[in-house]
Amino acid sequence: MLHDYANIGMLLVIALLFPFLALGASYIIQPRRPGVEKSMPYECGVDTVGTTWVQFRISYFLYALIFVVFDVETIFLYLWAIKFQQLGLAAFIEMFVFMMVLVIGLGYAWNKGGLEWK
Amino acid sequence: MNITLLTSEIAIICLSLLIIILDLLLPRFETRRSLGYLAAAGVAGVFAYTCTQYGVSATVYQGLFTLDSFALFFKQIFLLAILLTLLFSFDYVEGLAKYQGEFYALLLLAVAGMMIMASANDLLTVFIGTELMTVTFYILVGYQFNSSKSSEAGMKYMILGSVSSAVLLYGVSWVYGCTGSIVFEQIAKHANTSLGMLFGFGLIVAGLFFKMALIPFHMWAPEIYEGAPTPITAMLSMGSKVAGLAVLLRMVFIAFVPMQAYWGGIVSIIAAITMIGGTVIAMWQTNIKRMMAYSSITQAGYMIVGLLSADASGIKSVLFYAMLYMFANVGVFATIIAVKKHHGSNEIKDFSGLAQQSPLLAVVMTVSLLSMAGIPPMAGFAGKLYVFSTVIEKGYLWLGLLGFVMSMISVYYYLNVTKVIYMNEPCVQKEFIVSQPLRIAALISLLATLWIGIYPGPLAELANTAARSLSIL
Amino acid sequence: MISLVHYLTVAAILFIIGVYGVLTKRNIVTILMSIELMLNAVNINLVAFSRFIQPEVLTGQVFSIFTITVAASEVAVGLALLFRVYHDYDTVHIDKLNRMRW
Repeated sequence: MLHDYANIGMLLVIALLFPFLALGASYIIQPRRPGVEKSMPYECGVDTVGTTWVQFRISYFLYALIFVVFDVETIFLYLWAIKFQQLGLAAFIEMFVFMMVLVIGLGYAWNKGGLEWK
Repeated sequence: MNITLLTSEIAIICLSLLIIILDLLLPRFETRRSLGYLAAAGVAGVFAYTCTQYGVSATVYQGLFTLDSFALFFKQIFLLAILLTLLFSFDYVEGLAKYQGEFYALLLLAVAGMMIMASANDLLTVFIGTELMTVTFYILVGYQFNSSKSSEAGMKYMILGSVSSAVLLYGVSWVYGCTGSIVFEQIAKHANTSLGMLFGFGLIVAGLFFKMALIPFHMWAPEIYEGAPTPITAMLSMGSKVAGLAVLLRMVFIAFVPMQAYWGGIVSIIAAITMIGGTVIAMWQTNIKRMMAYSSITQAGYMIVGLLSADASGIKSVLFYAMLYMFANVGVFATIIAVKKHHGSNEIKDFSGLAQQSPLLAVVMTVSLLSMAGIPPMAGFAGKLYVFSTVIEKGYLWLGLLGFVMSMISVYYYLNVTKVIYMNEPCVQKEFIVSQPLRIAALISLLATLWIGIYPGPLAELANTAARSLSIL
Repeated sequence: MISLVHYLTVAAILFIIGVYGVLTKRNIVTILMSIELMLNAVNINLVAFSRFIQPEVLTGQVFSIFTITVAASEVAVGLALLFRVYHDYDTVHIDKLNRMRW
C-alpha cells in the first residue's frame, strides 16, 4: 500500500522536475541575438488589430453547447467497452441504436448550421 | 428479456426521430402541417396497439420496467391527451415563425417520458422518465420566439424544475442508502422507518408534488401556464400532473408501504390547502390561462384525495378522475386556442359573445367547465362522487365535506366564464374561424365528457381492472 | 479512516450550499452553478452509499452516471434558454424577469 504511494510520489517529483530541467538547460545554453522582428509578440503571422479582450461570439457558444452534450454521452460508451466481451451481440445492437440516435442529433445540428464557425 | 413490452415507447420515440429527419428533408419554407398529421396518425396507431395490451403483466430489464393494466391506463390517458392536443394545435404551430417540425418531435418525446414514468418500477427509471418529460418541457415552454413572456417562463420553469429534480434525487440517494436497492419491490422488503428513510421519502414526495403543482409547491404554475404556448399549457396541465400522479401511486403503494402511517395526515392537509387555495385564488383571475392554472391546481388536489384510501377503490377513483379531467381540459384549451386566434389575447372578456360566433365551442367550453366543477350530468360529477365517497368511507368525512364546499364555490368562477360567453355581445365583429381538426378535438371531448357522465360504467370497470393490477392490493 | 459519515457530511454541506445559492443569488449563471452543486452532492451520496453498503453491486455508481448525463443535458438547455432571455431582456438578472403579473 505504502509502496504504491511511494511510486506515485516518485513519478510526481520527476514530473515536476523534468520541465524545469528541460527549460532551464535550454535557457543556459541558448544563443541570444535579439532583433526587432524577434521581439514582437508574434514572431510569425500577423499583428493583432484592436483590443485582444474581445467577447466570444455566439456561434462558439452554440458549438460549446453541442460539444458538452455529445462529450458527456460518451460515458456510456466507456462502460459498454469495458464489458464488451461478456455483453455480446445484444448490447452491441443496443449501443448501435444509441449511437444512431446521437448521429441523428449531430446531423440535425449540422444541417441547422450549429457547427459552422461563422 | 422481452423487449416487445417496450413497443409503444419505442414506436413513439422512432416517430419523433422520423419527424426530425423528415423536417430536415422538407423544403425550408414549406409548412410543416404534414408532419403534424403524421404525428397524429402515428399516435393514433400506438393508441390502438395499447388497447390490445390489457391483461399483460410482465417486467423487463430485471424488474426496472413493468407493463400492467395500471401503466396501460395511464399510457392511454397520455396518448389521448397528445392526440387531441395535436389536433387542436395544427393552426397554432403554423403561426410559429420557425422550428415547426421540431415542435411535434419534442411534444412526442415529452409523451415518451410520461409513458416511461407510468411504467417505471424503480427509482432510476422514474428519474429518467421525469427528466425526459421536464427537460423537453423546458424547451417547449420557451418555444414562442416572438414573445419575451415565453422565454421568461421557460427560464423560470428550468430553474425551478431543476431544483425540484435535484431535491427528488437527493431523496432517492437517501432511500437507496437506507434500503440498498432502487427497485420498488426490494425497497418494500427492506423498508424501515428510520430517520434517513423518512427524510428521503419526504424529499421524493416533495419533488413529485412539485411536478403536480400542489399548494405549497405550486408557485411556478400560474406564470409558466401564462407564458407557455397554449398547446404546451394544455399538455403541462394534463401530462405533467397525471404522470406525477402515476409515479406517486405506484411508489407509495408498492415501495413505501410502511410509510403510509405518516402519509395520511400530511396528504390530507396538503389536499385541503390545495383545494381551498386553488379555488380562492382562481376567483380573482382575469386571464383565462392563469385561471386554468389555479383550476388545475385545485383539480390535482381532488385527485390526491383519492390516495388517502389505500385500496383498489381509492386508486380506481383517482384513475377515473384523471381520465375525465383530461377530456375536460382538452375542451377548454381547444376553445382557448380558437379564441386566441380570433382576438390575439387570453383575457376572459375576449370570450364575450362566443355563443353567437361559434355555438359549438360555446357548448364545449361550458360543458368542460361544468364537468370540472362537478355538476351532473357531466363526467366530473361521477368522478368526484367516486373520489369523495371512498375517502369518506375511510373516515375523512371533513375532507369530503370540504371538497364538496370547494366544488360549489368553484362553480362561481366557472359560471362566470359561461356568463361572459352567453350574455355579452361579441366585441369584435369579424368572421370566427374554427378549423376542422380543432372542431373534431372539441367534439370528441364534448361527447366523451357527456358519455362518461351519463354512463360511467365501462370506464369505471376499466379503471377498476387497472387499479387491481397494482399487484399488492 | 474516512467513513461513510464523512462523505455524507460533505454531500450534505454541498447540497445546502447549492440550495443557499439558488435562494440568494440573482445572477442566472450562478443559479445554474448552484443547481450543479446540488446534483453533485447527490452523486457523492450515491457513490458513497454504493461503496460502503454493498461494494459488490454497483447500482449507486451506475445511477450517478445517469445523473451526470442528465445534468449535462439540463445545463445545455438552461444555457440555451439563458441566451434567449439575454436576447429579450438584455440582462441575466432573475429579478428583471418580471413581465408577467405575479
